[in-house]
Order: sequence, then structure tokens, then C-alpha cells
Amino acid sequence: MTGTPRIWPLVLILAIFSTPLVIMYLYQIIDSVASPDPGSLIPGELDLSNWRFLWERIDSGRPTIWQVTFNTFLFASTTAFLVTLLSTTAGYALSRLNMPGRPYFLGGLIILHAFPTITLIIAIFIILQALGLFDTLLGIILVKAALELPFGVWIMKGFYDTVPWEIEMAGVQDGASRFRVWWELVMPQVKPGLAALLIISFLSGWSEFVLPLVLAPGSSTQVLSTFMNAVIQDDATADFGLFKAIGMYYSIPVIVIYLIFQKQLMNIYGGGTKG
Amino acid sequence: MKTRLLAFGFLSPALIAVFFFFLLPVLLTVVFAFTNMSTSTGIMGGAYQINETQMGSLRDTEVSPESIEKLEGAGYLISEAGLAALAEEFGEDTAEELRDDYLGETFAARRDLERVLRNLDDPIRNTRDRKAAADLFVSTVIGERFDTAEDFRAALVETGIDPADHDLLTEFAYTGWTWTTANFSLLAELPSTMRYASNTAFYVVCTLTFNILFGLFLAISTFYLPGRLANTFRAIWFLPRILPPVLYVLMWNWFTWDRGFIATVAGWFGAPQQNWMLHTSTHAWTAVILINGFVGASLGMILFSSAIKAIPTSMLYASEVDGANRWQQVRYIILPQMRWPILFMTSYQTLSLLTSFEYILLATDGGPGRSTEVWALAAYHTALNNYGGNLQYGLGAAYALALVFIGIALSILYLRFFNFKELLSKPRIEQ
Amino acid sequence: MELRLEKFTKAFGPVTVIQDMDLTVGSGEMMALLGPSGCGKSTTLFAICGIHKMTGGRLYFGDRDVTSVPAQQRSVGVVFQNYALYPHMTAEQNIGFPLKVMRQPKAEIAKEVQRLADLVQIGDLLDRRPAQLSGGQQQRVALARAMIRKPDVLLLDEPLANLDAKLRLEMRAEIRRIQRETGITAILVTHDQVEAMSMCDRIALMRDGKIVQLDTPERMYADPASQFVAGFLGNPPISFLPARAGEQLAIGQSQVLPRPAGLEVQGDIVLGIRPEHFGPQHGQGLHGEVIFVEPQGREELVDVQLDGGGILRAILPTGDPVKLGDRVNWGVSGGNILAFSTEGVRL
Repeated sequence: MTGTPRIWPLVLILAIFSTPLVIMYLYQIIDSVASPDPGSLIPGELDLSNWRFLWERIDSGRPTIWQVTFNTFLFASTTAFLVTLLSTTAGYALSRLNMPGRPYFLGGLIILHAFPTITLIIAIFIILQALGLFDTLLGIILVKAALELPFGVWIMKGFYDTVPWEIEMAGVQDGASRFRVWWELVMPQVKPGLAALLIISFLSGWSEFVLPLVLAPGSSTQVLSTFMNAVIQDDATADFGLFKAIGMYYSIPVIVIYLIFQKQLMNIYGGGTKG
Repeated sequence: MKTRLLAFGFLSPALIAVFFFFLLPVLLTVVFAFTNMSTSTGIMGGAYQINETQMGSLRDTEVSPESIEKLEGAGYLISEAGLAALAEEFGEDTAEELRDDYLGETFAARRDLERVLRNLDDPIRNTRDRKAAADLFVSTVIGERFDTAEDFRAALVETGIDPADHDLLTEFAYTGWTWTTANFSLLAELPSTMRYASNTAFYVVCTLTFNILFGLFLAISTFYLPGRLANTFRAIWFLPRILPPVLYVLMWNWFTWDRGFIATVAGWFGAPQQNWMLHTSTHAWTAVILINGFVGASLGMILFSSAIKAIPTSMLYASEVDGANRWQQVRYIILPQMRWPILFMTSYQTLSLLTSFEYILLATDGGPGRSTEVWALAAYHTALNNYGGNLQYGLGAAYALALVFIGIALSILYLRFFNFKELLSKPRIEQ
Repeated sequence: MELRLEKFTKAFGPVTVIQDMDLTVGSGEMMALLGPSGCGKSTTLFAICGIHKMTGGRLYFGDRDVTSVPAQQRSVGVVFQNYALYPHMTAEQNIGFPLKVMRQPKAEIAKEVQRLADLVQIGDLLDRRPAQLSGGQQQRVALARAMIRKPDVLLLDEPLANLDAKLRLEMRAEIRRIQRETGITAILVTHDQVEAMSMCDRIALMRDGKIVQLDTPERMYADPASQFVAGFLGNPPISFLPARAGEQLAIGQSQVLPRPAGLEVQGDIVLGIRPEHFGPQHGQGLHGEVIFVEPQGREELVDVQLDGGGILRAILPTGDPVKLGDRVNWGVSGGNILAFSTEGVRL
């Protein structure tokens, strides 16, 4: 749709609504490297002291940023890997394999897909304590992976559904077992799906806040979200420059992935999926 | 047959995960809701113990004063069990001597017993040893931890407390959790229950309305804008969806708190410095709804945009040829096609708004004065994080149970959005 | 190798699609399963290759009972309608895949792939991926892949449906040539009677899960067992004409045809007259008006509205001066009239 006569009113309304967000984005960047004087919005001189958390501990009680970053990366990547692995096999079984009770599994999958898992956190909290996994990275990895699983299986099933049946039939006729057909013939067709799921679950793990907050509150298992939250909570002076610098650092992977995969991400999130 | 094995092999890891982190938690939420589990009871069941500090509250129970006095007075008793332990550690002779002279006697204080031990023909000379030896004869139940009810009752028998009080005392001494329906009666009584419920309803309705309407507006308006402009706005509005919540809310905090953007700008016009998010409950609600609304509108924009893209362009061209203006095109061509996406978004967002508390927790934490406390946040505060420090898992689970039920009901409803018949079409390779 | 289906039954849940079907395909024969969509021909094919389980009956390859042998061990080559080439493999890898599954040595695979590629004439395209091949070339790759295991039976599922008209003609001949050269037993599933007639030794015409006639193309054309068969074969299609059998055959309200020899019934019947058996070359007999002329290049199709009711179609060489609206009086080749009962049974 191009060449419209009255496009400017529309743009104006959009711009007005977008202004708060744009201001927030803008000052998110500005304040992290230059603190304006109180009562002013004009950026002061370049000031990197907000980034001091990179080379020193903000205060003695906290783990170093590198420890926290490592935790976050381990948490997000292991979760993403687990989700993708389990979804790849389960999605295929639900999409293509004959098995008793298949309708129930599919119905259950949809219900789980919609079910608000956060309501279970109290019970999960107690289960983790009973299993001895409370306040461990392994514990939150397992929980996060399990909670993301219905979404992952659903996505992967969708990708498998688009692979023509004839390819599998041809494989079977060519003498290959169903396992081999899956591994050698079908998997190469769903590689984009694998990549998408890997990226989405990584992003989801990277941003996760409530699970680590509740299930791994100790300082040795802190991830960037809980680290940043703790810094904000404990700082009486509201040092927004410091918070924003940490926020910048925290969001780098998100922004990078966003810039590279913007279109694909919009497509996947637009496919009526969970978020 | 082989295929079946393969299918279950492929499915079972996911099934195990689902069992441990979905089915079991749903079940346990129900179970926990009927207990008084809390930090002080622990979760693994408990032991039997009465401490000095509890004596006061023990007097408030129906246990007879004589029994309480006995409980306090009983100090050290020379019993066969104690003598046997003594023989093992300090020799048969010492034990024999003690048995002959003192079997059955009691000492109110350890000092008295220690004196006896020192004055034996075959005394225990080392002070520390004497202490250890005296401890073997402790008969009081106060401060003592018993693993089972039987042990505890046996100890009561030894102190000679009236058996009529044993049941009451055993119950009193139990430190673990017990079954109870008190959580639900408490919920029914508390005035805050109604407030959290109405807060939740208000929050869900307002945020949902904002999400859908604004999401639709974003999707339709960017659809009509020329490419680059549309992409710019889409990028601005896509970010809230993928930015980490902690960072996203931080930006809002900066925007609204006392030294943030609004305060600074308002300051230029002479407004007093104040926290614009937490100043009044109206401000807090506005912030909460906008913070969640922007994220929801972001999701709505993405969903609705792809739905609009799926409308055949020939239909839009045809309507233009027919002389429809933009408004008529939106009203008669686009909106009717959006019925299912809107319904989907509504049901989906209802569920997630009802149950998620992440953004509220980060922004207002229910404040000021619990005015923005919604049901899910109340469950979290009760069971997982409160200032008192005693986390009431049982009561929190009772809160959560309501949400779990609503969640299950709505997700089953959600099944209807899928063409289930088509979903169930049999695999085409029959092996 | 001979293929034999005995009392084959297939049901999907409560719906029985095929009931007690018998079919024998001779060794080295090419058989067509022909029929409209939904007649059960694809179901039969899937049962033969083992993708569907048979609900009842038995299937033999030669003397070997393969009823419950899984598809992987059946030695059946299949060419699918959309070719089903593996998109991530080159033509060479596609063709060699069945041998790779059999763990044949690499050199052996390469040799065999080359032999098959030569047979289907794509020797110079082996390093391309399917997306870089034309429809006809993909078809040849699919054919080579289906044949490389030297299967007992070759199944072709609508192999020409996705090709344009010119390629279809070419591949028709190609497939037949390759089948003859290798002497393989083959089954062609198609809804196109021209394909079936031009490529196959025999045709099994199916309808509603049953074989209604099994015969050579020539005999099926000349001697159809029912009105359905007569109507399904032949392009342009046969014309049907309600008639009343008495002393003569009364057509409509005013015209008659002589009663063909051997016709014994009286009363209402349906006549089937193919276009080539009606026209001026057969003398005179039926009056009518030309209501439709369709030039086809070498010949033209002419529809004639008969006086007193009924329409007959004729096929005339181009250059015949007949025009729309002409009054004509054309004859019918008496020996070639097919007669059916009103229920469609051949009389």
C-alpha cells in the first residue's frame, strides 16, 4: 500500500505513542556512558565509571560479573540445548510415528502449551528442595527446560508437519529404517526449525527472571537477571547510570540476535506461538 | 512394533520432564494446599521436640499444670539405659557402683549429678568426661529431639507425666507439617482475598483491552505505512517483547521514579520531586497497565501483522476498485478476517495475565500498600518471598490452586482453537 | 517376477475402502491401475509397497508371501507423483541412497549409479541437487533411484501428473522403454486413460474399490464391460443415447436405427456410440443439426443435436466443410454400436 493521501495523522499518533519507548531506549544508551546532572536531561561528558562492574566488584558481597555471566550463559545455552534435543525427538514422534494413545499426547501437548506454568512454581520450589536441587544451576536448568518443552515440541512438530510424507515413504522404500529416515532424510529438512528453536529458547533462558529468583537465590548461582535485580534492590541511592550500564551489558546478546534475526523472529513469534 | 518402540523412545524423555515438572507439581499444589507447610515446619515431615521457649505457649494448652511442672522439673534420672551407656564408655565398675547406690534417683540439676560422679569410689576425674557422663542420664524431654512419636512417648513415660496428657503433648511437640483445611477457611475470612481478586480482575480487563486494541492499531497502521517507516515502528514496538524483563522494567523505573524522566521534566515546571510510579495507587495502576500493555501490544502487533499479511492482496485491491476508503477497508475487509487471531490472543493473554506476576513484581512489587497486589503475586509473596521470613507454602499453594484450576479449564477451552480432527489424522506410513 | 494379490481388503477405521480384491500382474508385464480419484488405486499401491498394512488378504511376489514383510525388505521400487527426491542430496547421492543403506562398497555404488544414470540418460547431471533439475530430469532421477536395487516390482504413482504436456509425451515413451529394457514387472497408477492405454500391457479399471474390468487396452476400448468403462476410456469421449429396443432401435421421438445383430433385449436401453463411428463416412441414417464445432488441428469435433432428442459426437478430418447450424444426415457404423441396460450393464 503506497501513495496514500492522509498518512501523516497516522504517523503522528504512532509517534506520540512511541515517544516514551524511544526516550527510554535513547537514555538507556546515553545514561550508561554519560550521567547528566540531576535535573537535566542533557548528556554530560563521557563517563565510563558506570561500567566499573566489569573490572571490580560493586560491593564485596557479590560474585564477579564474569561468574554471573558464565552462569547465565551456561543456564541459557544448556536449557536451549536440552529443549531443542528433546523437542526434536518428541516432535517427530508426535508428528509422524504411529503409537497407541497418540490423540491423548497431542491433546495433552496443546493443553500444556497453553497452561500457565508459573502457577506451579510453589510446588516446583518444594520438589527441588526434596530432590536436593534447590539453589543449583542444574535445578533451574531442568525446570526451565521442562517448562519450555511444550512450546518446543509444538514448534518442532509444526516443522516436521511440513516435510512431505513422500520423502519418508521413499526412504522406507529405499530400505532405510524409520530411525535412519528421521536422521538422514527428515532432519536435514527441519534444520531451520532447529536453529529457530535454539535461538528462541536461548533468548528465553537469557531473559528468565522468576525461576532463578525463586529457585536459585544464592549468590553462587546468580544469573544476570537476578544479579541486576539485586543490585537495583540493594542500592539506596538509585544509581541509574550503573543499572543502565549493567542492563546494556546484559542485553548485548539479545540485541545482537535481534539485529541478525529480526525477520525470522517476527515470523516465528507471529505464528500464534507462546511467548 | 519397532516403530512403536522408536516412538516411545523419542517421546519418553519429554514425558519424564512433563511428569516431574507439570503433572507432579499440579498434584502437589493440590496436596500442599491442604497442609500447613511453612518454613518452620519444613517440607520433609518433622520430629518431636519441645523447647524452653515454647513452655509459655504450652501453658495455654489444656495440658495440666502438674504435667508441665514435671516436664520442667525432670532433670537427670539414673536409669538402666543410662547405666548401660555409662558402662560402655567409662567401665563396668563405675556403672555397677552407681547402680547400687542411686538407681531410680533423680537430680534436678546437672551439677548435683556431677558431684555424685566425682565422689564415687571410682570417680570420673576429668571435668569434661563428667559432663559427658552426666548427659547420658538426661531424662528431660525439653530441648530434646525425638525422631518418632514412639520415642517421644517413651521419654514421657520415663518422666512419669500423667498418661492422660501424652496425646496432647505429642501433638504439641510435633514440628512437621500436618493436614489441614485452615488455608481455605483463612482465604474465605481474609478481607484481602476479595481485594486481590478484584485487583486481578481490574488488571486483566484493563491490560487485555489495551493489548488487543493497541496491538490491532499498531498492526493495521504499520500495514498502511510505507515500508521503511513501518519497519521503524515495528522495530520500536518489537523490542519490549524480547528485552529481558528486568531491563525493560528498569527503563520504566527510570522513566517514572523520583529522579527520572517525568520527574525531571515536571521539575522544570515547578512540580515537586516525587516517584511518579508509586506516588498514588492510580499512578501505580497506570504504570502497571502500561508496562504490561506495551509488552502485550508488542505481541499483539506481531500476531495481528502476520494475520493481515495472510489476507489475499487481491481482496484488498478489489475493495479499492470498489471504491472503499481506508476506514471501510479496515472495517469490512481486515477486521472480519481478524476474528480468530483476536479470539486467540484474548484467550491466550487472559491466561498469561491472570498468572504472571513478573512485571508487577519488578515494577511496583504490589505497592504502594498492596494496592497493585494481584492474586498471582499474593501467592508468590505468601509462599516464596515475604518480609516476615516465615514462608507459608501451604497457604501459598491454596492461592495457586485457584489459578491452577482456572489455568486447566482455560487451556482445555483453548484446545478448541485447533482443528483437532486434522491434528489427529493418522500417520500415513502404517508401521 | 509375478505379483499376486489375493482377496485384498483395506479398511481405514470403520470405513472399508477395498473389499476382497484379486489381481495378478504377470512377470515383466506393465499393468495400469486406472480410475477416478477415490477409487482405491493409490490405496492398492501403498499396500503393495508396504506403506499401508493390509487389513485382509495376501500378497505374493512370485512364490514369496510378503503380506507381513515390512516395506524396507520388500524389494519394491516406487516413483512418487512429486518424485520425493531428497532435497539435501545430489542426484548421485539420491540414486545411490538405497545401496548405501545396504552397505555396499563405495566403488560398487558409484558403478551402479553410473549404469542407472546412463539408462535414464542423466549421466551429466549427477552432481546437481533436485532444485537445480527440471521436472523431467527429477523424474529420471526418481526412476533411477527406484530401480537401482533391482527391485522385484516397480510402482509408478501418477508419475506424469506434474509434467507439462510436451514432457509428458516424452516421459511416457521413456518409462515404457526403460521398463521394456529391464523387463521389470511394473504397476502404473493413473487417472489418465491416455497414459494407461499408451503405456501398459493391461489395464485394471477401478471404481469404488473394485476392479470393474481387467483387459488389454484395445479390448477394453472395443469391448467395455459396462457403461462406466466405455465412458472412462476414449478421447474424445463416447456419446450415450437413450433408445428403445423393439423391431428397430427407436431414438428420440422420430428416428430409428437398425437393430444390431445379437442384441436380444426389448425396452429401454442406452446406446454407446464412439465419435469415429458416426459421420458422413458411414453413409446416412440420422438427421440432426450441428450445434458445436471444435477444431483440433488434424481433425475437428462436431456435436449433432438429433431431431427428436439426443446428441451424438463425430470426429471429422479438418477441411470438411461442415459449419455450425448445418442440417446433416449421417450414418452410424452398425457393427460398432454398444448397448447397455439402463443400469449401465453391457448387453
